[in-house]
Amino acid sequence: MEKKDLVIRIAGEGGEGVISTGDFIAAACARAGQEVYTFKTFPAEIKGGYAMYQVRTSLDPLFNQGDTFDILCAFNGEAYEVNRHRLVPGTAFVYDYPAGDFEPEIPDGVIAYPIPMSQTAKDMKSYRSKNMVALGALSALFNINEKTLIEVLVDKFKSKGPENLSFNLEAFHKGKELAAALDKKDLWRVADPVPAKDVLIISGNDAVGLGAILGGIRFYSAYPITPATEIAKFVAVHIPKVMGTLIQAEDEIASISQVLGASYAGKRAMTATSGPGLSLMGEMLGMASMSETPVLVVDVQRGGPGTGMPTKHEQSDLFLAIHGSHGDAPRIVMAVEDVGDCIHMTVEALNLAEYYQCPVILLSDGSLAFSTQTVPAPKPGAIKIVERKRWDGTGEYQRYQASPDGISPMADPGTPQGMHVATGLEHGPAGAPNHSPPNHEAMHRKRFGKLKTVVDFVAPTQVDGEGQADVGIIAWGSTIGVVREAVVRLREEGIKVKGFYPKLMYPMPVVHYEAFAATCNKILVPEVNFQGQLSHFIRAETSIVPISMTICGGVPFTPIQIMNKVREIL
Amino acid sequence: MSIATVKKAPLKPKDYKSDVSVVWCPGCGHYGILNAIYRALSEAGVDPSQLISISGIGCSSRSPYFINSYKMHTLHGRAGAVATGAQLARPDLAILVLGGDGDGFSIGGGHMPHMARKNVDMTYVLFDNGIYGLTKGQYSPTSRPEMKAYTTPYGGPEEPMNPLLYMLTYGATYVAQAFAGKPGVCAELIKGGLEHRGFSYINIYSQCPSFNKIDTIEFYRDLVEAVPKDHDVTDLGAAINLARQSSEGRAPMGLLYKADRPTLDQRMHAMVEGVNGSPDYDLNQIIDLNRP
Repeated sequence: MEKKDLVIRIAGEGGEGVISTGDFIAAACARAGQEVYTFKTFPAEIKGGYAMYQVRTSLDPLFNQGDTFDILCAFNGEAYEVNRHRLVPGTAFVYDYPAGDFEPEIPDGVIAYPIPMSQTAKDMKSYRSKNMVALGALSALFNINEKTLIEVLVDKFKSKGPENLSFNLEAFHKGKELAAALDKKDLWRVADPVPAKDVLIISGNDAVGLGAILGGIRFYSAYPITPATEIAKFVAVHIPKVMGTLIQAEDEIASISQVLGASYAGKRAMTATSGPGLSLMGEMLGMASMSETPVLVVDVQRGGPGTGMPTKHEQSDLFLAIHGSHGDAPRIVMAVEDVGDCIHMTVEALNLAEYYQCPVILLSDGSLAFSTQTVPAPKPGAIKIVERKRWDGTGEYQRYQASPDGISPMADPGTPQGMHVATGLEHGPAGAPNHSPPNHEAMHRKRFGKLKTVVDFVAPTQVDGEGQADVGIIAWGSTIGVVREAVVRLREEGIKVKGFYPKLMYPMPVVHYEAFAATCNKILVPEVNFQGQLSHFIRAETSIVPISMTICGGVPFTPIQIMNKVREIL
Repeated sequence: MSIATVKKAPLKPKDYKSDVSVVWCPGCGHYGILNAIYRALSEAGVDPSQLISISGIGCSSRSPYFINSYKMHTLHGRAGAVATGAQLARPDLAILVLGGDGDGFSIGGGHMPHMARKNVDMTYVLFDNGIYGLTKGQYSPTSRPEMKAYTTPYGGPEEPMNPLLYMLTYGATYVAQAFAGKPGVCAELIKGGLEHRGFSYINIYSQCPSFNKIDTIEFYRDLVEAVPKDHDVTDLGAAINLARQSSEGRAPMGLLYKADRPTLDQRMHAMVEGVNGSPDYDLNQIIDLNRP
């Protein structure tokens, strides 16, 4: 099978320019018409530690970070040590030598390209140019389009002065010359440029921020937390342009409280956090359920519990997102698959919150947070904004009046005769406290009942494949992208396999699950958490008995892992 | 609060009463404070539909139900944070926060400094009865150590905090204190708070005859002492000196401090103007920044 994609992994010490090198390659490839999917890991420390940036690029759509890399570029000995077990025959290995801090053993079949990165940087009297030397070498060795790469470098460095730019370009060309002097012995090369597509290249976190702005938010309350903080950074830059406000709160409890207050006051409002923050917000989410106030919380999941693994990938907040509050506290939970979803499902989540007057939790995860991907550029005119139902000012206003769909119109403060209370106490139609058994039951039916149509409001699930299959794979979040590729490759092997990808996690679209399962002999549920959280919900809410497949090592699945498991359970 | 909320034809105090009946114990100081709030709202000319009354949980946090306005009865300790969001979303409205000492300074203590230092434009009336009443009498952050209560059968092991000193230190721009037995003074100070553009904090001593047996109406009457006529309310040092009297067995009554400082919403508005913010901003400009 011809391999159409190429995976380049750059690794080294945090602060050495690993991340910017990856960003330059990704942007250059995108400008050369390629699809790009990047994956990064970096240390929890501020300075130093192991950092890694992987660029996967292809002319065809990409859904995940790939099984492993084709090309490793090691800036230091640690990068070599961490990755040496993946240096399989055929891999190209570019490394800092001589005068680097290590002398690697080159395994049989690995094609080695020693580049004196540190020495060249030292000769140029600037350690900072080391990554530019590496970039030049990579460009020359693997056909990373030089024209677009230089355009990217010019755009990046021009604001820092002509001297800075020419210095970086000089280092780039030195690296290129060093590589040109070596014998090219591998077959890896980026495809020749094609016309660039109408795309953005954007990280999951920035994409949530962009979705928020496109979705019409006017209030955002932030509290710093890895790996969600960049969402606030993006929103902070742009929200004043649309007359909105971002406040950094004193803690996550204040964030969700402020969002509730702003929403009551009539504005589209949201916050974003990670698991620990969502834990703190639990009580106020219940208040939002009870008072039927629209709020959006984006949870960029990380390794838990406790402080856990703040910079690592995990999908372990599903229990918390669905059930994290006291009492019976209905909400809507959605999960994004990729960076494109981060834009569009943030818009959708805001619409859902406004329409259904309840908390919406949108789950992203650590690997998407920092993964930059090429996504079609959104068109503002094509974005649908759904407003909350507002009282028309006629008759006597009762905030929680029963209605056929369970949705009662809201009244913005300032509306004459619309005065009402938003309350966390159980209440009757007018909002007055009412603890009678029939009332509590009726109000629960209202609050849960209004969510019955959510399944029609959004595209709740996607099915990949037709007819009967031996194995059906149910995946959520960024694991979907891994499964999409595994399914294609398994089919090429003649294995009958289908995929089922829920985006709406709660209320659970049970009918869709059952219909899918009816077409599969076995159901496999891979997810990145210890307990098999989606499997648990499937067993609780459907008649399906899934095979749970879990990993929780802080990194996403690879397609190969899924493929091996499918072959095993056939 | 914002001037835009003032109505031309003022309403009477009774017009601010809702039709929900008040549920406090007989002899509770909160009745006096509530009546003072009605008077203050009337005298400040606040349009009920332009007012949001916000509370947390506790006896005094029931107050919004009794006021004719938009209102939020939220969670224990969170009134101030909810109010901050509402105020920033709608700086044209008046925001009144009502709550107790436990709600504000114990469970809600994490929010208090930030409303003060950020100068969020709202009026915070704290009903200070030195006790948790709704849960039947536990000591609070303002209880005196000699108080024997539900969880302090041998007397309290802690020193009380000083709300005025706290608010002055954290940068509140309107700090006052009164006593529920002096509803006229309360009304005057609350009205001043409503009219002040910035974070107004009014601490009002309120007797709890049911559970706080030592801070009686007589105790408070003897405790409070009018702020001296020659006190300069713009002098923070002088205000702090007055506030410190509370630890010496006397408590100032009146306006201690008032300062003009840009409010948080004014600063936010300046940011919007700084980037030429507009409801018709071309979103393509933001999208295009993310091209490769």
